[in-house]
Amino acid sequence: MKRKVIKYHGTSVILSLALLFLFAAGASANAEIPGITGPTFNLETGTASFPTPDGDSLFVWLYGDGSNAVQYPGPTLIVNQGDTVTVNLTNTLSVPTSIVFPGQGEVTDPAAPSGTPGLLTREAAASGGTVSYQFTATHPGTYEYHSGTNTELQVEMGLVGAIIVRPAGFNQTTNRTAYGTPDSAYNHEYLFLLSEMDPYIHDLVDFGFMNLVDNTEAFPVFWFINGRNGVDTLSDHGVPWRPNQPYGALARTRPGEKVLLRLIGGGRDQHAFHPHGNHSRIIARDGRLLSSNGGTSANLATDQFTISPTPGGTVDAIFDWTSKGLGWDIYGTGPGFQHQCNGMNLNQGPSPGIDPDTGEDCEYHGVEIPVSLPGLQDLTFGGWYSGSPFLGQFGQLPPGEGGLNLNGGLFFMWHSHNEKELTNFDIFPGGMLSFVVIEPPGTPIP
Amino acid sequence: MKRHKIIFMIPLLMALLLIAGPPPSAWGAAFVQCPEDQDGDGIPAVHPRTGAVLDPDDTDLPNVSCMHLTGGDGWVTMGDGEELYVFGFSDVTGIPQNQVLTKGIFRTNSPAPTIRMREGDEFYLTLTNVGTFNRPDLFDPHTVHYHGFPNASAIFDGLPESAVAINQQASITYYYNNREPGTYMYHCHVEATEHMQMGMLGNLYVDPIQNQTGIGGTVESPDTATQAGQEGGSGPYGYVYNDGDGSTAYDVEYPIQLQAFDKVFHDASRDTQPLPFADMIDTYPTLNGRGYPDTAVAGNLLPPAPNSCGGDTVFCEQPSSQPVSSLITANVGDRILLRMSNLGIVQHYTITVMGIPMKVVGRDARLLRGPDGTDVVYETNVVNLGGGESTDVILDTNGVEAGTYFLYATNLNYLSNNEEDYGGYMTEIVIASVSP
Repeated sequence: MKRKVIKYHGTSVILSLALLFLFAAGASANAEIPGITGPTFNLETGTASFPTPDGDSLFVWLYGDGSNAVQYPGPTLIVNQGDTVTVNLTNTLSVPTSIVFPGQGEVTDPAAPSGTPGLLTREAAASGGTVSYQFTATHPGTYEYHSGTNTELQVEMGLVGAIIVRPAGFNQTTNRTAYGTPDSAYNHEYLFLLSEMDPYIHDLVDFGFMNLVDNTEAFPVFWFINGRNGVDTLSDHGVPWRPNQPYGALARTRPGEKVLLRLIGGGRDQHAFHPHGNHSRIIARDGRLLSSNGGTSANLATDQFTISPTPGGTVDAIFDWTSKGLGWDIYGTGPGFQHQCNGMNLNQGPSPGIDPDTGEDCEYHGVEIPVSLPGLQDLTFGGWYSGSPFLGQFGQLPPGEGGLNLNGGLFFMWHSHNEKELTNFDIFPGGMLSFVVIEPPGTPIP
Repeated sequence: MKRHKIIFMIPLLMALLLIAGPPPSAWGAAFVQCPEDQDGDGIPAVHPRTGAVLDPDDTDLPNVSCMHLTGGDGWVTMGDGEELYVFGFSDVTGIPQNQVLTKGIFRTNSPAPTIRMREGDEFYLTLTNVGTFNRPDLFDPHTVHYHGFPNASAIFDGLPESAVAINQQASITYYYNNREPGTYMYHCHVEATEHMQMGMLGNLYVDPIQNQTGIGGTVESPDTATQAGQEGGSGPYGYVYNDGDGSTAYDVEYPIQLQAFDKVFHDASRDTQPLPFADMIDTYPTLNGRGYPDTAVAGNLLPPAPNSCGGDTVFCEQPSSQPVSSLITANVGDRILLRMSNLGIVQHYTITVMGIPMKVVGRDARLLRGPDGTDVVYETNVVNLGGGESTDVILDTNGVEAGTYFLYATNLNYLSNNEEDYGGYMTEIVIASVSP
């Protein structure tokens, strides 16, 4: 069989370098988790039906912010450490509902008396009832909120959302940290609220047979990140064709930058979230830094390649990517691939250290990729493949292949490793699936 | 979904075959890229796992490992005697590359052949896709996903969506520079739910440099008193990580990889039927591809009947499709390393060892120490494993009475082989007394 090395077009190097210089100075742009800021939130509940990728739709009960469509998950509530947080809920559902705030300490009634007594908390009566809650956001971190009424059904129906408490001293441009410590600093943050649904339950509620719902027989066949099934997870935040599912789950970063993953077990099952590309450092669980030194640092943190937030639990993890130890030059070698590593020209031999701007491991600067790739006829190509193994490059692809990788980035799948969950009701691929994109240095994010 | 389309394409494919005859590449050759294969026959100097000399014409290079796998199909036997159709990998390292496309067919292993390397090894892994002998209608590509490889490149990550997958009758060579020791795993990532359910799952370990250097030594000048026994030193048999203090030393080691099969899914694949993704459940929980009591059978499990291929010598060279025993044997006083991982694809499982404390020293191919060196090693009697998680457990049998102990899933309803009780996720730990 005839073999040949794929030839790569190096012409885009100049463009990439131009981009690099253009944006290197202004590379402070960073990804933020979308949400609404407090400390007072006026939420409402409502019903909706959103489409599922298998062509069906799900009837759901959702929280909304009162001005936009109700949404799954509910609006991410972003507050500052020390805030007195007030949540006023108006209920338009045909059943009573409520909100509980796991991990937030005592919840009081700012408008005492508000709501009606319920089993877990005060509730808003059906069809227009209201209730108010107040708590102090004492600890920074990642939390969730969800219905405290008939919880086993109402959370399945969609009444769940995230709470982010910013640490004291947080500043979106100058001091981005998750817990106020240097080791919780990050460049980009992304939410991964993991959940699942069983359409049979939703159909029963939709058709008025709520009394027939048997939660012990729940058998989910849809899996969600931030309320979307794969591959809708990759669409931008707030795309108009997903009015009730405004939050995307595509993570983007640049080499050497730190990504904060805020993971939430938002459903009833445990999910094994596997970020390809590198290990992630688990710095906090359930809104508490993994620390035995009084919160100075996450000295109990360990690195993992799979992260399993328990149902109702949260995990904060820091991910970064460089070409450390790769064994070859991720930016390519030879004519057309000129670049520097820590000020060193191509083929000037190895030197220790990671280039702070490009994430390149200079030990392997100028080292050719050690194997030749099979001919095009021997390969099946992924849509997110640029055609080149090199970062920031494009290569030859057969007609109709590729095309989803706009900047020549490296795409790594971030997904449930209980891989049954990579489906949408019998259809692969889908479900609990997203990507991180390692974009070339200087690529604007978001 | 994709399968449905393929089924409709079968008549078209048959017609094409009749017109064109068999694809000419079926008589082609695999293509191995390996610096240790100087004479170009596709056989490296030595086998990376066993150390056996494979090609005396070649020179064994330090810090280079080469392995050649085929991706294909085959059969395995479950604990209740049922035979399942599977996809999988087979180790053809040592078979000349011009014979692999015939000899590498229909000899898949469950679990996939264990990959074992040393820290510092450059690993050249060639994957040749030999097609699915029992499903000639399929033209599935395959990949190897080196699960947990740090700072990966997309091209060698084996994710077909973001890079490439190798078509039938062709080869790809992956390259990994192993810098981080630990317990990893590997699997095919093409249509991951299907190919993983079908069995393309295996163990992958990287031994720490401390095995060679001993504690405080170097590769050139090892501390022989603490250098690992497997490297010729006087120290313990091995270490799991570069702990610097011997706290991860072990005397014997065993793989415990959880894999679970759904009989309905495998039978549907065998019979060219639509595949039940949504209804998938674990009916055959296995450790290293076998359900109890087969887990406790020492050595190879006899190959299932379909693997005998009607006496065809080409297809009958594989002695067993399930060579990995989970029977754990040790002497009183031994430190037993269990390299535990879960490549089941439906749910989390919890594993316990009855009667011997479990010391957890590693998780996801990392020594359990904080960033500043804080020790977070702990003792327990249960380890929870989600899909794609690994844990290194050391059982210290010092002071333990000789006898038979059990390792099993505390998800007790999975101690079964389909409808048969007393099976599934369980194996035996036989501790022998040492004569004084």
